[in-house]
Amino acid sequence: MKAGSVFRSPLVRWLALLALAAGMIIFPRAASRYWTDVAVFFGIYVILGLSLNLIVGEVGLFNMGHAAFFAIGAYTTAILSTQYGIPLAWLWPISAAAAGLFAYVITRPIIHLRGDYLLMVTIGLNEIIRIALINDPGGLTGGSNGLFVIDRLRIFGWTVSTPTDFFYLVWGFIAVLVVVLLRLQNSRIGRAWNYVREDEIAAASMGVDVRWAKTLAFTLGAALAGGAGTLYAAKMRIISPDSFTFWESVILFAIVILGGMGSIPGVIVAAGALMVLPEVLRDFMEYRMLFFGVAMVLMMIFRPQGLWPSRRWAQELAQDAAEAKSAPAER
Amino acid sequence: MYRRILVSQQGSALRAWTAVLALMLGLTLGLAGAIPASAQQPIRIGLQGPITGPWALEGEMAVNSVQIVVDQINARGGVLGRPIEIVLGDDQGSPRQSALVAQRMIAEGVVAVISSYGSSITEPASLLYEEAGILNIAYGATAETLTERGYQYFFRTCFRDDRQGAFFAELVRSHLGSQRIAIVHDNTTFARGLAEAARSSLAGVPGVEIVFYDAITPGERDFTATISRMRTQNPDVVYFTAYYPEAGLFVRQMRDAGMDAVFVGGNAAVNAEFIDIAGLSVATGVLVTQEPLPTDLDYPEAQAFLDEYIRRHGAPPTSPWPVYAADALNVIAAAIEATGSTDSAVLANYLRTSLNINGITGPIAFDAKGDRAGAIYKAYVVDAQGNIVDAGI
Amino acid sequence: MEIFAEQLMNGLTVGSVYALVALGYTMVYGIMRLINFAHGDLFMLGAYVGFTVLMTFFAQSGLPLWVILLCIAFAAMAAVALAGVAVERAAYRPLRRSHRLTAVVSALGASIVLQNGAMLIWGPRYQAYPAWAVPSTRFEVFGVSMTSMQLLILAIALVLMVALYFFVQRTVLGMAIRATAIDHDTARLMGIDIDQVIRLVFIIGPALGAAAGVMIGLYYRQIHFTMGWAYGLKAFTAAIMGGIGNIPGAMLGGFLLGILEMLGAGYISSAWKDAMVFVLLILLLILRPHGLLGERVAEKV
Repeated sequence: MKAGSVFRSPLVRWLALLALAAGMIIFPRAASRYWTDVAVFFGIYVILGLSLNLIVGEVGLFNMGHAAFFAIGAYTTAILSTQYGIPLAWLWPISAAAAGLFAYVITRPIIHLRGDYLLMVTIGLNEIIRIALINDPGGLTGGSNGLFVIDRLRIFGWTVSTPTDFFYLVWGFIAVLVVVLLRLQNSRIGRAWNYVREDEIAAASMGVDVRWAKTLAFTLGAALAGGAGTLYAAKMRIISPDSFTFWESVILFAIVILGGMGSIPGVIVAAGALMVLPEVLRDFMEYRMLFFGVAMVLMMIFRPQGLWPSRRWAQELAQDAAEAKSAPAER
Repeated sequence: MYRRILVSQQGSALRAWTAVLALMLGLTLGLAGAIPASAQQPIRIGLQGPITGPWALEGEMAVNSVQIVVDQINARGGVLGRPIEIVLGDDQGSPRQSALVAQRMIAEGVVAVISSYGSSITEPASLLYEEAGILNIAYGATAETLTERGYQYFFRTCFRDDRQGAFFAELVRSHLGSQRIAIVHDNTTFARGLAEAARSSLAGVPGVEIVFYDAITPGERDFTATISRMRTQNPDVVYFTAYYPEAGLFVRQMRDAGMDAVFVGGNAAVNAEFIDIAGLSVATGVLVTQEPLPTDLDYPEAQAFLDEYIRRHGAPPTSPWPVYAADALNVIAAAIEATGSTDSAVLANYLRTSLNINGITGPIAFDAKGDRAGAIYKAYVVDAQGNIVDAGI
Repeated sequence: MEIFAEQLMNGLTVGSVYALVALGYTMVYGIMRLINFAHGDLFMLGAYVGFTVLMTFFAQSGLPLWVILLCIAFAAMAAVALAGVAVERAAYRPLRRSHRLTAVVSALGASIVLQNGAMLIWGPRYQAYPAWAVPSTRFEVFGVSMTSMQLLILAIALVLMVALYFFVQRTVLGMAIRATAIDHDTARLMGIDIDQVIRLVFIIGPALGAAAGVMIGLYYRQIHFTMGWAYGLKAFTAAIMGGIGNIPGAMLGGFLLGILEMLGAGYISSAWKDAMVFVLLILLLILRPHGLLGERVAEKV
């Protein structure tokens, strides 16, 4: 808490933010194209992690098929761009809307399912989408070859093409997104979400429309992931079903839990850990994934509340632990 | 209450950004340490392949094969008097990793890149190399689309799927004399491409009908349902264009179901492991359409290469692809030697117009698209001892 | 009609394997409310242990086939039960008081460790059970052709399931398992050692999974270190279909999934069959939100 008190001073806080912004601006000029690229993909995972955090972290809905919405965004972008020549900058909101709409329609009948049944359904959705993409319905998705995006992303005359361009675009977007999400967290909606997560029945009896709260989180999260799909398609230029497997969903799920449910900084740190760790472990060659797995178990054992738990969540966990101590009962 | 939460949230966001900054700084510092001391002397050539991941075996054999050629070239004094140095990049058989590796190769300033094994993996990398103007030669990526984009810097030493499909059609027409053909693929870029090529090539053959065309799922073990459905169509030849783990199971389950149609595998379907999985009695008599195996290349360069490979690693490579990687390096070296340049534009132009060498896999020249001229396929058969031998047809 | 009956037989065979693996998911879930994502990999481990024991000790033994098969099945079951207990001790017990999802991530980590451990031990290549180890007589029953291996798998799976059912329903230990599944606190007050019950579940589940692994190895004769995920996902689907936490539900779900899969591949399309199975699963859950035999449980009161 001592370090925290230093940060309470507004001057220090602003200086730190300024230093951070300066560091981010300098980074792509100091780093090579490769590390800039790593930072871009890291950024796309942060956006995806933040979008899933709305669903899993804020509302506590078990979604282990998030790659499905990411895929819908990326494929909407690629299909509309190649078939109708719609500019990518327009496709960003269009893809987000498409993924959000899909989530809205698809979750309406299943949103009431209990935790693990919902988990299974989302896994199923992910698999259905992936299989459909591979089987190339109507010649739209290009099958396992995937699709090739010829167009470049142009925003108000700025053509986003080099890794540096993408770095600024992605991290600039994250900066805006984080501010918006922080506001959302503390809004009526955010607190309603957390209420639902902690106790659905109590929330309902206090007048929170549980169904509405859940559907909203799912739709928003999916839309955000769909938008990330546009960025991914614009960056990769070639998208194929390989990029949207169940495994991707699992990694995203792990990012949210590892960071600490409902914690925005946690998502960023955890996405960094899961992206950078394999790079660091590269020297171990075939032992790399083994160590990765061990690290995942150890991180959960030593930081069960997450690498950077949200304040509200930490309070609740402390309460739980106190209860557990006073009555050695298990749930 | 509301205000307190607000403040604490901002505080934690701030700490997060500090952490991100620290991470970024760490990355930058790590990077500074990673920049190699300037080495003007060697000619640096990239090799991008699946060194880990599901196709790790292919990656490992490609590295071994390329290393042999590097040693041969350096032993005779290098190219333009400069030794060759290989820069390794592991794309893990994943498209995203492939894009990252390509960026690193570009940042490292390699002269040319040998890249890569699978078609969907090669695709993003070839795009990045094209934009950066770096010569890149694929060794296992056979999907037709790759050379249909009008790229200037992309070439491949392996052949395209459509040529193998045409070879299968020719095999059916001139030797098998069959009329009812079943084609099975697994929806991967390669297998599906080959299946489609075979289907369109067969369309022109009189009296031949494709009675069954479907995909199985990679990693699946039970194909009995597909086989029962196929059996009702009574095919006399089954062309299986997917990979060996499924091929071995497929042919055994076909025989178990009492089907005696001729089984023909594509060039990824039949190898020693296929025979293990199918069982010798089932595998015997299975036909394969594929590039000549390393052990069947009767060029002097091939013999020398193979002897060296066996001397170093105890056994010959088990698939044709690593040898194409070795030949990609031969091509690059020959082009640098002939033009006296390490500029990719000059090299690419030379490859397209004048290159003509005898590689390990036979004569090599490229057409305007960057595809290798000619096509060498053979029909192989599994004999009763479990060897894959020339079918003599 | 014969083809239909054959598809049914194939579906039953595969389904019985799904059912055995699904039991492991459902029992752990019943006791701990945990989805044991490492369970599929324990199944894979069973296939590999069986293979190794077969090749090292019985390659030239000349013993009758049924003795050999019994030996490798027991060896695999024992080894994997040990591994199951170890996974529980290392990855789950430290997290028993944490949030449920924490243990899910830990389970994913354990799954990655098992998978890559198997790759390091046995190599990235496919391994093949030798043909001589597989009983392969074919015969026809009412015009439906089947192999002795299929019948063997069905018979063993049924025996194991019936044994499990009686164990859980009729023995003291089984009663302890049921009591713990209903309420940990009350069970503890009745003198049940919860840790022992959890350990027991982590012996039974993985052992059943290992038996399934050996049978799959013998049936298809081809094994790979990544096979755990594919079968794990299928078996988990089966457990959810039947209603997770419910033992007869897992059996029913397994058989149903196997049959649906075979009929889908046989009559519609093998490329779309997994998608069709998931669509059916989602429809089922919309109509019956707790699976076929699952009970209605309020999440939090």
